[in-house]
Amino acid sequence: MSLRVLVGCKRVIDYAVKIRVRPDKLGVVTDGVKHSMNPFDEIAIEEAVRLKEKKIAKEVIAVSCGPTQAQETIRTALAMGADRGIHVEIPAKEMEKLEPLHVSKILAKLAEQEQAELVIVGKQAIDDDSNATAQMTAALLDWPQATFASKLEKTDGELEVTREVDGGLETIKVKLPAVVSSDLRLNEPRYATLPNIMKAKKKKIAKMKPKDLGVDLASHLEVVEVVDPPTREAGIKVEDVDTLVTKLKDAGRI
Amino acid sequence: MGYRYCGARPTLTTQSHPPQIVKEQILAETELSHKHLTPELKLHLITPTCRLWTSPPPHSPFLDPFWAFYWPGGQAVSRFILDNAHLVKGKRVLDFGCGCGASGLAAKTSTAKHVTFNDIDKVALEAVLLNGYQNNIVVDSLLSSNLIGSPSGQYDVVLVGDMLYDTEFAHQVLCWLQNLHESGSLVIIGDPGRFALESHPLKKLLMCLGKYELTEATILENRGYTQAFVWTFR
Ligand SMILES: Cc1cc2nc3c(=O)[nH]c(=O)nc-3n(C[C@H](O)[C@H](O)[C@H](O)COP(=O)(O)OP(=O)(O)OC[C@H]3O[C@@H](n4cnc5c(N)ncnc54)[C@H](O)[C@@H]3O)c2cc1C
Ligand SMILES: C[S@@+](CC[C@H](N)C(=O)[O-])C[C@H]1O[C@@H](n2cnc3c(N)ncnc32)[C@H](O)[C@@H]1O
Repeated sequence: MSLRVLVGCKRVIDYAVKIRVRPDKLGVVTDGVKHSMNPFDEIAIEEAVRLKEKKIAKEVIAVSCGPTQAQETIRTALAMGADRGIHVEIPAKEMEKLEPLHVSKILAKLAEQEQAELVIVGKQAIDDDSNATAQMTAALLDWPQATFASKLEKTDGELEVTREVDGGLETIKVKLPAVVSSDLRLNEPRYATLPNIMKAKKKKIAKMKPKDLGVDLASHLEVVEVVDPPTREAGIKVEDVDTLVTKLKDAGRI
Repeated sequence: MGYRYCGARPTLTTQSHPPQIVKEQILAETELSHKHLTPELKLHLITPTCRLWTSPPPHSPFLDPFWAFYWPGGQAVSRFILDNAHLVKGKRVLDFGCGCGASGLAAKTSTAKHVTFNDIDKVALEAVLLNGYQNNIVVDSLLSSNLIGSPSGQYDVVLVGDMLYDTEFAHQVLCWLQNLHESGSLVIIGDPGRFALESHPLKKLLMCLGKYELTEATILENRGYTQAFVWTFR
């Protein structure tokens, strides 16, 4: 059996950008800011492509829900080895109100339409850090889920997944079809090279709207306030360990 | 710099001498490589040691230099032809979408009577000339027109290396190739298992002639594929 794999890839503010809160305190500044693919999604795509190299997957479909520029994110996924893309168009001004539940509904619907047997998403997007899309997609599809994966292996009709949990590593088996979310150590994505980028230009990106999939974007969440984390106070330098211990005692830390 | 060529690439008249400038640019941006399935052919290719390997496409003086890579399908066809020389010996051969021209050069090595190198990218045809020269192989003729849909007749053997990369284009190509097959040409297709071929209804009319493991370097260039197959119509 060879799987069709659906992979979610979100366009987010680049991880190296210093985030600035908007004056209205209802979001962060995104205009003119460098964006790239959510790092966990790069890992998800890479894993799907590796499954294809191992002949476990037959086709990898990259899905991005976002504004026009989300197509660049899809192109990146195609250059990494995905076979085709689906762009679910969300106008830029509605992007902020897009919730994990909406994305999950979109992914679940597409998984059914495309007859995917595996959905891989990142464990979280580094912009909202919700960590919810994989779990809700699995629930909507009524498929098993294997979150925070750091290793995937296919056995007969099942996936053996090593998960990063608080106490260390946990290995579980899930029946296919299933939803997997990628953790940082699942793999190291390879950089796209010219031949892969060139070929990606020829690959198809289908466009659709949430309502084509019967997904309603009504809000369930309300942003009350977005604030910067408290700035850290300056530290001090100490001469030796003894002074450090004294200072810590004085500060009531030990 | 070379970026200029993106808009107005030097023109090439078939069979005439290559404009020196394109030739120089190819030599400057490529490396002679034999890290592929037909090491007996040294080809001017963009490899990991070339600057363009990791440059974004706008930095390339060539618009989509498909000829600068030796695609898995082409490698499989060429290997197959070199190992089964009798199929092309004394025959008139077309290398359709020849790119670097390796498959046609393999046919010449296997003593084909006449090989037509066809690619709609005229820069590719310059690369073919350089690659022929490098391997001491005479390049019989170059053709830059789009042959899809045209009747065959003139070719005994049609080589098709990695032309089935896009679903719609693959459909056009496969239908045309089926016609060529029906009018008597031997059609030899190389493909790494791209979805466009795998999912096409005509796939069931094809018969596998060979299967090859790709080299490490080729796997890096072609995310997702580790093998290539050679097919012909039953
Ligand atoms: C793609 C991505 C994935 C991520 N995944 C995870 C994840 O899976 N799990 C997770 O927990 N976080 C994750 N993060 C968050 C990120 O890893 C955290 O920022 C990180 O955990 C903070 O640790 P750090 O040492 O890198 O931070 P730093 O900011 O470098 O350091 C944190 C503290 O360490 C001390 N320190 C740093 N350098 C030195 C030094 N040279 N000597 C002495 N003390 C030093 C300082 O006290 C400093 O305040 C992720 C972030 C990104 C962008
Ligand atoms: C993926 S490359 C394959 C090159 C070569 N056969 C190989 O396997 O290395 C596809 C090539 O087909 C050429 N091409 C695309 N459409 C064509 C057409 N209609 N007729 C001729 N060549 C075409 C491109 O310019 C490109 O060089």
